Amino acid sequence: MATFQVWLVSTLVSAKPIGRLMHTRWGWPAAESIHFLGLSLLIGTIVLFDLRLLGMARRISIAALHKLVPWGLAGYATNLISGSFFLMAEPDQYIYNPAFHFKMLFMAVAGFNALSFYVIAARRTMGPGAEEEVPRAARIIAATSILMWIAVIVCGRLLTFYRPGGCGPEGPGFLAYCIPQIKRF
Amino acid sequence: MDPFLAWLELTTFSTWVRESPSVFAFPAILSCHTVGMGLAAGINAALALRILGAAPGIAIHEMKRFFPVMWFGFWLNAISGVVLLIAYPTKALTNPLFYFKLALVAVAVALIGPITRRVFGNPDPMPAPIGRHVKRLAITSLVCWAGVIISGRLLAYTYSRLMQGF
Repeated sequence: MATFQVWLVSTLVSAKPIGRLMHTRWGWPAAESIHFLGLSLLIGTIVLFDLRLLGMARRISIAALHKLVPWGLAGYATNLISGSFFLMAEPDQYIYNPAFHFKMLFMAVAGFNALSFYVIAARRTMGPGAEEEVPRAARIIAATSILMWIAVIVCGRLLTFYRPGGCGPEGPGFLAYCIPQIKRF
Repeated sequence: MDPFLAWLELTTFSTWVRESPSVFAFPAILSCHTVGMGLAAGINAALALRILGAAPGIAIHEMKRFFPVMWFGFWLNAISGVVLLIAYPTKALTNPLFYFKLALVAVAVALIGPITRRVFGNPDPMPAPIGRHVKRLAITSLVCWAGVIISGRLLAYTYSRLMQGF
């Protein structure tokens, strides 16, 4: 895994124009601002949908509320792009950062969780002849979604508190939490 | 030197928030401030998008059911914001952008009443089409919340003094 991380860092850092852009006076702050706008758009729409599945605002049709989900996806895409810019500008600050590892883990769970909604619950909650009561599976998915997105936000904020330093003489271990002392670029 | 800010920065609480290595100090408060931001700005944005024509099937007056969650996010941020201010009072209070951010929060909050009175007040199953005036308010609300987020983010880059005596 550590070998893969080293390769990933060297690959990401090769996106030099992005790195240069991010290291201009306003590059980093601008990307952060965009990242936070995308976050708010995602939370504001996806969490509303999850809350509806959990029983809030029952008089709003689930199918109608689902029309806000593409806006959440737009926020997600915005953050995928702005997030990748941070990664290309300072890869070792992320690839060797435990907060980043957890953030990716929670994002993956949130992603599979969202997919599972469409596979097992979408038809029963918003298709023709959808049941009045939201099935238990859909409610579990909704609660998982809210928890995972909060966890993603928290891990994002923890990134700066778990900045990796250089590895000691014992080396990086299986999953590196420190910057290996080898020629990186 | 401001004696009040100098005193505030030396209080146990301010020092703890600023300097404690615990993840439950500064990192946790910052996390709360970000989750609250997503709920407050995000839910207001969702209502504004609905007013502006997104997801027209949503019974708009029923969106009031989501507003306790929006207010939860707002108060979470008011409280965590005050705590962050106690941690670094000089940093915020000597930065003009901080006052700009507060002014934008004030305008954004002041818009919630006029907007929600117009769209939550009428439980008619066939509500009248949303007027241009409400749409203008919704656009202003979106711009204000975006401005709050951007100016808040830029506070980390635009301060001139971190603490008294620095």
